[in-house]
Amino acid sequence: MSLLDHKPARFAVGLVAPALLLAWWQWQASRGGSNAVAFASLSTVGGAARELIVNGTLLADAAATLQRAFTGLGIGATLGIALGIAMAMWPLLDRLLGPLLNALRQVPMIGWLPLIGLWFGSDEGSELIVICLSAFFPAMLNAHAGVAQVERRYLEVGQIYGFSASQRFRRILLPAAMPMLLTGLTQSLAFAWIAAIAAELLMGASVGLGVTMQQAQTQQRLDIILVTIAVTAAIGFAINQLVYRIRSSLLAWQAPAQ
Amino acid sequence: MSFEPVPQRPPHLSQTGPQTGIAGAESARSARGALTISSLDKSFTISGTARKVLDGINLTVRPGEFVSIVGASGCGKSTLLRLIVGLDDEYTGEIRLDGERVATTSLDRGIVFQDHRLFPWMTLEQNVELALLNTDVPKSRRAQIVADHIALVNLTGFEKAYPHQLSGGMAQRAAIARALVTEPKLLLLDEPLGALDALTRVHVQNELQRIWMQQRSTMVMVTHDVEEALYLGDRVIVMTPHPGRIRRIVDVDLPHPRDRRSPVLHRLKDEILAELTAAPTDTTDDARGNLVLLPTREDR
Ligand SMILES: Nc1ncnc2c1ncn2[C@@H]1O[C@H](COP(=O)(O)OP(=O)(O)O)[C@@H](O)[C@H]1O
Ligand SMILES: [Mg+2]
Repeated sequence: MSLLDHKPARFAVGLVAPALLLAWWQWQASRGGSNAVAFASLSTVGGAARELIVNGTLLADAAATLQRAFTGLGIGATLGIALGIAMAMWPLLDRLLGPLLNALRQVPMIGWLPLIGLWFGSDEGSELIVICLSAFFPAMLNAHAGVAQVERRYLEVGQIYGFSASQRFRRILLPAAMPMLLTGLTQSLAFAWIAAIAAELLMGASVGLGVTMQQAQTQQRLDIILVTIAVTAAIGFAINQLVYRIRSSLLAWQAPAQ
Repeated sequence: MSFEPVPQRPPHLSQTGPQTGIAGAESARSARGALTISSLDKSFTISGTARKVLDGINLTVRPGEFVSIVGASGCGKSTLLRLIVGLDDEYTGEIRLDGERVATTSLDRGIVFQDHRLFPWMTLEQNVELALLNTDVPKSRRAQIVADHIALVNLTGFEKAYPHQLSGGMAQRAAIARALVTEPKLLLLDEPLGALDALTRVHVQNELQRIWMQQRSTMVMVTHDVEEALYLGDRVIVMTPHPGRIRRIVDVDLPHPRDRRSPVLHRLKDEILAELTAAPTDTTDDARGNLVLLPTREDR
C-alpha cells in the first residue's frame, strides 16, 4: 500500500510543490535590491487580493471571464461535436469539409486575432468568435474520431437485432463514442478558458481577468498581476476537477485503467 | 451416469397461445427452424484476387436439431455462420430457413459470437433487453422475460453488473441469454466457449445442453473442441480448409442428456481427430475431390 492511497496524504503531497514555490518566492522578495521589483512579497500580494475582493473587481472579472469562456464553449463545442459526428457518419460530408477544416485547425488561436479584429473590430462579438473557434476544433476532432472508431462488431450486434438508424445512433454510436466526446469536451473547455483570457488581454474588453492583468501591467502593479494569475490558475484547476468528476460518473461503465 | 437437475423452463416459455408473444405454440415451434444450404460458394477478394473460402457446401439441418461444426481454423466456419445469419450476403448458392431465402439479418436467426460482444456501456440486464427492442413482446413483459433468461444462464444477482465486472464465462453466458431471449428459430454459436477455461467450459456446455433440451430450437455450433462437438451435437460436420469444404458428417446417435464417459463418444472422437489431423492442408483439387465424396449421410 503506497502513501498515495490515503486521501489526505495524496492531498498533502500535491501541496508540496506550490508551498516550495511560495517559499522560494518569498525568499527572493525579501532579498531586496533589484529583486524587490521583480518579486512582490506575499504580504503585498495578499493586500492586493484583499483590495480587489473588497472593491468587487475580482468577482466581476472572474464572472465576466467565466461567462465568456462558457458561452464560447457552449457554441463552439456544440457545433464541433455535431459536425464531428456528422462527418464521421457521412463520408461525403467528411470528404467535403475534412481537408479544409484540417488546414484551418493548423492556425493557432492567436493567429485569428488580426483577421477577426479587422472584420469585426475589438468588441465582445470578436472575443466570442475567438473563444468559439478555440473550443470548436478539439470537440470536432474528438467527436469525429470517437464515432469513426466505433467497432464494427458492436454495429453487427445492432444489425442482428434489427436496430433502426436512430437505435443504432442512440444505443451504439453515441455511447461508444462517449469517452472521446468527453475528452474533446475537456480539451475544449481548457482551450476556451485560455482563449477567454487571451482575448481579453489582446482585444481589450471592459471587464475580465485579462483586462485587469493588462491594466496592472501598464500601471506596473506586480501584485495585481500575480493575484489575477493565481485566480486564473485556480479557476482553471477547479473547472478541470469538476469535469473530471462528471466524466468519471458518465463513464462508470468503463473498466478502471490498470 | 451423473445426476443433473433440469431447472424449470421460464414461465413465458412454457405457456402456449398468443400471450406468449414471440414463442408461439409449442407444436408450431417444433415444425420450425429447418435450414437448407445448397451449392454454397463464397469467395473473398483480397487485393484484386478472389480466394474461395467456401466451396460447394450442402447441408440440411432438421428443425430442433443440434449440429456441431469442427475444422481447422481458417476453413470458413465463421464465414459460413455469418452468411447464415445474414451479416454477409455476397455468396452464390442458396441458404434457406423454413423455405425462405436468407438475404439479411432477421430476429428468426440469432448468433452468439466468439467474443461475447456485450455492449460495455450497458448493464447485463440492459444488454439482454436490447435484443427485445424490435420484437412485438409487450414492454410490460420484457423485464420478466429478461429476468427469466438471466436465470436460465444462472446469472441472477448480476443484472446490474457491467460487462467488465463479469468473468469471461459469465459474459459468454450473458451473450447466450441475449441470443435466446428473442427465441430465434435458429441459433448459431461461433466457438461460444472457445475462450473459457476447461472447468467453466464443461459447466457452460451442460447449461447449453439443458437449454437446448428445453427450447428445442435448431442450433448450429462451431467449435474447435471435438469432444464438445460430440457431447452436444446430434451430428458433427467435419470441415477441411483451402477452400472450406465438408469432408464428413458424423451421426451421434445417443440420447440427451449425454454421459461424457460414453464409449461411443470416445470412439467417434478418435475417428474425427484422425480425420482432422490426416487432412491434407495443401493438396491438389483432384486429391481433395475424392475426400468430399464422403459426406453422403446428409442426403437422408
Ligand atoms: N472479411 C474478410 N475478408 C477477406 N478474407 C476473409 C474475411 N473473413 C475471413 N476471411 C478469410 O476467410 C478464411 C476463413 O475465415 P473464417 O471463416 O474466419 O475461418 P474459421 O472461422 O473457420 O477459422 C480465412 O482464410 C480468412 O482469412
Ligand atoms: Mg472462426
